[in-house]
Amino acid sequence: MTPFLNSFMISLLFVGGVYVVAVLERWSMTGNVNWGGPARSFLLLFVQEEIKTRKHDKVFFETAPILFIGVILLTISILPFSRGSVIVNLGTGALFINAALVYVMVSLLMAGWAVNGVYAMVGGWRALAQLIAYSMPVVMALTATVMRAESMFLIDIVESQQSLWNVLYQPVGFILFYISALAITFLPPFDLPVAEGELAGGVWADLTGARKLLFRLGRLALVLTLSVAVVVLYLGGWMGPWLPDFVWTFLKSLLVAASFFTIGRFMPRIRHDHLLEYNWKYGVPLALFNIFQVGVVLLL
Amino acid sequence: MISIQLILLIIFGLAAIWFGWRVFMTSSMVRSALSLLASMVAIGALFLVMEAEFLGVLQIMMMGTEMSIMAIFMMMYMMDPGGLGNMDMTHQKNVSIAAGVAVTVLVTGAAIFADWGTIATQVPSPHEQIRLLGMEILKRSMMIFETAGVTILTGMIASIAVALSIKNNAKK
Repeated sequence: MTPFLNSFMISLLFVGGVYVVAVLERWSMTGNVNWGGPARSFLLLFVQEEIKTRKHDKVFFETAPILFIGVILLTISILPFSRGSVIVNLGTGALFINAALVYVMVSLLMAGWAVNGVYAMVGGWRALAQLIAYSMPVVMALTATVMRAESMFLIDIVESQQSLWNVLYQPVGFILFYISALAITFLPPFDLPVAEGELAGGVWADLTGARKLLFRLGRLALVLTLSVAVVVLYLGGWMGPWLPDFVWTFLKSLLVAASFFTIGRFMPRIRHDHLLEYNWKYGVPLALFNIFQVGVVLLL
Repeated sequence: MISIQLILLIIFGLAAIWFGWRVFMTSSMVRSALSLLASMVAIGALFLVMEAEFLGVLQIMMMGTEMSIMAIFMMMYMMDPGGLGNMDMTHQKNVSIAAGVAVTVLVTGAAIFADWGTIATQVPSPHEQIRLLGMEILKRSMMIFETAGVTILTGMIASIAVALSIKNNAKK
């Protein structure tokens, strides 16, 4: 397939995937499956009046939503959906995922701080502490998958799982990456930065209209992006019988996304200090252990 | 010879300098930290323009995390609620101006008069660059990197230990 057709199909499937994720998100909050709901909220936010807070920081206020959705779109472009369909095949693909996630955190801090309101600001700093903490296990788990593939090309990482998927080869890394993905997408039970019940919406408390729409859309895309990342790194990517390659990637990704929201629906929200404590005291040492274990198995 | 590469190099270089200057021209810690981040990202972009893909991506990633950690540490140590307070980013002005001028002259002199060897005409592929860098870090430069890493870690643990006055959930 030509690269243009490739990117067109990936985008189309991705937009469809994001819509399904939006329906799932609604279900995880209300318990109802409502297929029209996301479209209605989209239109509502699209025409909503833009309210700006007093003495907001203009530069950050305008850049934050664009930076947020921009880095997520960049991440999508490097993920391989099948052997031939990756928009940019980057030699540092595995590292790039983490580099992009870091700017999700920066944009949340910018958005929280810029509006000059207390809830948003607290949410922004919470997001920063949470995402710094949980990007550590992500980068260490990524390192272990790169070690097995002996390459940072994401395609090579998928192909290294031909004999055995990474989820079985390095289960500790999978669990850490999965939990960290939940924390980085700040989904429940890790939704402290934007929790409605805790901070009246946190980072997004004072955002309306297009800016909020960009953040909401960006988060849905982020959930799907990280689901694809889980599939590519641990669940054998496009591998599977009968169906075409990219169909497998999307099926697996949607299942991973559904599992995220199922956990969110049935788990209570975790206290902020506990959340940080669990990661720094147990997550990071476990991630180091995972690198060690993979190294030993590789050398045996 | 003027190529697109050279033009981009100049643009990102100027952006790095401009954001670096902005760091000291604001009265807010958060703006200053994020200006520094923008300056560092511009340097990362310089690496990317020079086709050092790994170094570029690494620079952009590390600086994002580092500047965020720096911002949160500044907030904690300066007792500034939320980074909304005013602060002056400069101190000991005469000494720092003198030091700045001296270092600029030194660095410019080194850049102009140093022997840079022959200019590389071909760049190895990103994959090959990563392999070579790994060999360098794990062979010749291992001692330097390990020492620096352990020193930084010790510094971080020590600073947190010093700053800790009450323990969370401590029984009274």
